[in-house]
Amino acid sequence: MNVSDLSAPRRGQGALIPLLLALLVFVGLPALLAGFDRGYFYQIANLALIFILLSASMHLVTGVAGLLHLGHAAFYGVGAYTAALLSTKFGLGFTVTLPLSGLVAALIAFLVALPTMRLVSIYFAVATLAIGQMLYLVMLNWVEFTKGPNGIIVTKGLELFGFSLSGRLATYYTVATVVALCVLAIGRLSHSYYGNALRSIREDDQCADAMGVSTARLKMEAFTLSAFFAGVAGSLWAHMTGYISPGDFKFSESILILAMVVVGGLGSLPGAVIGALLLILLPEGLRAFGDFRNIMVGLVMFLSILLLPKGLLGEVSALQLARRQLGAAWRNTVKGEGIGWR
Amino acid sequence: MTHLLDIRNVSRRFGGVLAVNDVTGHVDEGELVGLIGPNGAGKTTLFNLISGFTPLSSGSVSFDGRTISGLKTNQVARLGISRTFQNLRVFPNMSVFDNVSVGAVGALPQGALGALFGSLAGGGARSAEISRRTWEALEAVGLTHVAGELAANLPYGQRKYLEIARALAMQPRFLILDEPAAGLNDTETRALADFIKRLHGTGLTIMLVEHDMTLVMSICQRILVLASGRKIADGPPDAIRRDQAVLEAYLGVDA
Repeated sequence: MNVSDLSAPRRGQGALIPLLLALLVFVGLPALLAGFDRGYFYQIANLALIFILLSASMHLVTGVAGLLHLGHAAFYGVGAYTAALLSTKFGLGFTVTLPLSGLVAALIAFLVALPTMRLVSIYFAVATLAIGQMLYLVMLNWVEFTKGPNGIIVTKGLELFGFSLSGRLATYYTVATVVALCVLAIGRLSHSYYGNALRSIREDDQCADAMGVSTARLKMEAFTLSAFFAGVAGSLWAHMTGYISPGDFKFSESILILAMVVVGGLGSLPGAVIGALLLILLPEGLRAFGDFRNIMVGLVMFLSILLLPKGLLGEVSALQLARRQLGAAWRNTVKGEGIGWR
Repeated sequence: MTHLLDIRNVSRRFGGVLAVNDVTGHVDEGELVGLIGPNGAGKTTLFNLISGFTPLSSGSVSFDGRTISGLKTNQVARLGISRTFQNLRVFPNMSVFDNVSVGAVGALPQGALGALFGSLAGGGARSAEISRRTWEALEAVGLTHVAGELAANLPYGQRKYLEIARALAMQPRFLILDEPAAGLNDTETRALADFIKRLHGTGLTIMLVEHDMTLVMSICQRILVLASGRKIADGPPDAIRRDQAVLEAYLGVDA
């Protein structure tokens, strides 16, 4: 055997699932939404999309790099407040605030990561918990700057270089496009040798270090990148709803995002997406049960983790799926299996 | 002539214990050197001092003329020093291929840009290089047939070779094997000895850390012996076999 036993996959093989997904998100769902024409459905669809992005970004740091992050919602909040303040104080539109929200969230994450990245396991988790609480308290108590518990009304809606996108369907398409691009980027990071390096840190960071992996730098990158995507989600949320307040970004939101990642399957990007969908749609679907619905959501989470500890779509199957369906891998010509990353 | 690895007056203290006490030694390019000593002699500690896992208390280590004591573990690794672990440390939830790829990833430039932007940021060519190195390392240890398996599912013996493949994927100049024969039966140990000799035959400089004498005596060109943290002998296997200090350290006084 030699290296020629490793070949590039042929174009056009597999790739059915991504195509179907794209059709669903950009044709099927919008058609359904337009058909029912109820604002409430649009809201749920957009909320689900935003939480898919939050869950996917946390997947990168918690699922792939294995760092238990308990303050993710705070970076979502930083993005939302950046967008809200930039647009109310300086009149900047969504086109500008979207990247800036991501960058500000990433910058703050980078700064707080400098001292905390040395910490491991539970100590890192507690540090991110503290960071999340600090950021939350700034949003809540620095009234002159953030308007505190009153929140901020964002008058500027979604737009693209001045063209308003604030109609129901246009809003959905904007949110869906931004989220899809971000999830695609996260997919490229996680389904690559870069992702393998992050996974090796999760598995055994000392050993990864001895293999030449710059563990400190990669941990920092993963943390910063995940904050960037959370910031982008925050900007979407601020311009989409038109009103934000600190309550949207409190600790329980971080835990909700964590639950999405864990229920879906730690280390699995499709799992993170499924987890987000489940935990956003389930409570909506259970509205008929009134106050009992939260108990039922808790029960579903409890049972899913009990029966499927590796998640609804675990990492091993998720990586196989990515290798087969996205052509992201090399093919072992002897066995025909997808291995490695392209 | 400068040695590939040069260890000078190296000591390491853990609290009141001197685990490694003023050890001086060297390894030359292309050598296959054994490092032996009874349990607790300080072999693994010395080894950790070389690879930057543990900081030195005093002394210095240089590699290829360059001082490496004080560097971070991953910096030492990128200079071309690669290792395996005494207590197997594979990445259990990653496939065999992905495990080995980490060695290649570690030896090459790292960063998110290549993964994000592919060929635009040099990522495509790098992925191809990593895949090639990984496959070659798997071929060298004969594990290509289980490339897609989860590392956790491999039997013990194969996991040993997996670790060696991961170290080889770094394309190191100097490979340190920490007790590779531990837990293997006689047949497996003989196969391992043949394999190490073959690796050495490709021109790789190897240091073998073992407390089992047989393997070391049969394949090493030169042997360093540690006892209670001190170097007590350094020479070819025949000399070591007859060395009074070594016999005493292994078998007690008057052996």
